[in-house]
Amino acid sequence: MKKILCLSMMFLLLMGGYLSAQESVIEKIQKQGVIRVGMSTFVPWAMKDKQGNLTGFEIDVAKKLAQDMGVKIEFVPTAWSGIIPALLTGKFDVIIGGMGVTPARNLKVNFTIPYEYSGMSMVAHKSKAKGFSSLSDFNKKEVSIAVRMGTTAEQAARKYIPNATLKLFENESQALQELNLGRVHAVVSSAPMPVFHALKYPDKLFIPIKENFTKEPIGFALKKGDHDALNYFNNWILNMHAQGFLEEKKAYWFESKDWEELVK
Amino acid sequence: MLNKKTLKFTFIDMAVIILVIAAISFFFFRMSRVLDYKWEWEAIPSYFFFLDPVTGKLKANILIIGFFTTIKLSIWSTFIGFFLGTISGVMGAKGSFEQRFVSRIYVESIRNIPSLVLVIIFYYFVSSQFLDALYLDRWLRDSSNTIQQITGFLFARPENINSFISAIIALGIYEGAYVSEIIRGGIISIPEGQWEASWSIGLSRQKTFLLVILPQTFRKVAFPLAGQFISTIKDSAIVSVISIQELTFQGMELMSATFLTFEVWITITFLYFILTFPFSRSVAFLERKYALKQ
Repeated sequence: MKKILCLSMMFLLLMGGYLSAQESVIEKIQKQGVIRVGMSTFVPWAMKDKQGNLTGFEIDVAKKLAQDMGVKIEFVPTAWSGIIPALLTGKFDVIIGGMGVTPARNLKVNFTIPYEYSGMSMVAHKSKAKGFSSLSDFNKKEVSIAVRMGTTAEQAARKYIPNATLKLFENESQALQELNLGRVHAVVSSAPMPVFHALKYPDKLFIPIKENFTKEPIGFALKKGDHDALNYFNNWILNMHAQGFLEEKKAYWFESKDWEELVK
Repeated sequence: MLNKKTLKFTFIDMAVIILVIAAISFFFFRMSRVLDYKWEWEAIPSYFFFLDPVTGKLKANILIIGFFTTIKLSIWSTFIGFFLGTISGVMGAKGSFEQRFVSRIYVESIRNIPSLVLVIIFYYFVSSQFLDALYLDRWLRDSSNTIQQITGFLFARPENINSFISAIIALGIYEGAYVSEIIRGGIISIPEGQWEASWSIGLSRQKTFLLVILPQTFRKVAFPLAGQFISTIKDSAIVSVISIQELTFQGMELMSATFLTFEVWITITFLYFILTFPFSRSVAFLERKYALKQ
């Protein structure tokens, strides 16, 4: 029901998008002196810290981008399932929200070159998924998997474990709750969250498959037809790779756990 | 009142109380068994207020901010709802055929679609066509700090102003349909004799309506309207789907960041309750006090 609604909305929005006047988002940002960034909470990509401020890998990237453009930044926290329609209707200028570049999404929005790669990983319930150690163990009808709705995790689960029964949730925390209660066998989600979660509940959860089973590029998403903005963001990302900024942030947010006490 | 019943504590009351207590404790017992959940309540208070390490002052955190956003949303959308509802209700009760027709269409179409759908449609279609074209956010950003603070206090910060306005209008339109029915019922319930009496002392139709009928109507519908305000507070939770940072949205953000699912949901439930419960009790109290004198 919700899905049909989203799809039909997206269709209508796309039609409306063609009619609206075109001005590069870069010019608009310069003129207004502010860049509006759409994002959604995804630990540790973007989240609220103890003081209620946004923090995370994504937030650092977006802040650096605003600083380099010489403008102020405004974050627009948006529910994940509505984030593309919100971009298309101009609720913000760009999505910097850990969005995986997929062919289906790319038909609706433009993506920059990747500024980071992510992969799908899985955390499973110790007693429920006892002895499971490969994707084929999970690929059975009686196995249920919880994922966040509309994410690449959902797509990955449908592709790699098509026979498993999927349970879709609006938020990651609900999916993990379901796992903690032992009502699903496993949760599929972007690395490194599953590993962190397994470390948090070592007596209940485990990591059945050590490596990530997908690798997906993560890019900024923006409205179609805006070549100036695409060029600007692409080159900014190239620069940041060259300067080592992205690698440094990646090491801090994805390979260390130093940030954990900022949040809780 | 004629015969006031004296309260007597009987055996049946006793049994009922024991049964209720037993049921509740069984529920919690089962819950703790099934859930096997690590409760971490100690983290919650800091999401209400926290000590700013820079200034050393106590600052409101996201739950309190969300709480006040919910109050703001409810008050503004109630204003809009009462305004639209009064016009539509008057039209529906005493208007010409065309006016009654318009009022009926408004009320029936709104009451027969889910509020969630209305909010989403309004946000993506109506507000992006009209509200964004007003450039309210751009104007606010360029304006002085004082103006930003005042509008921030009354409405929302520049970054959220467009979605906030679209939310209060959508909620207002939704509540307006229910208010309209309450007002229409109130007007119809005023006896025909009131009209005739007013005409006989020479008041025009318009004056009769404004000076005689409407004041009596408002007195009759005051309590149902207060009830409608309470349900507006509860309905305001649906605008979390369009990312208005009210209580429910803030709670969901918090859960995504901390994974304290149950602690946060329970806290939010409690916050809504302390917002609506005093209202509904005071409405009930006032109703008892004034209803008899009508």
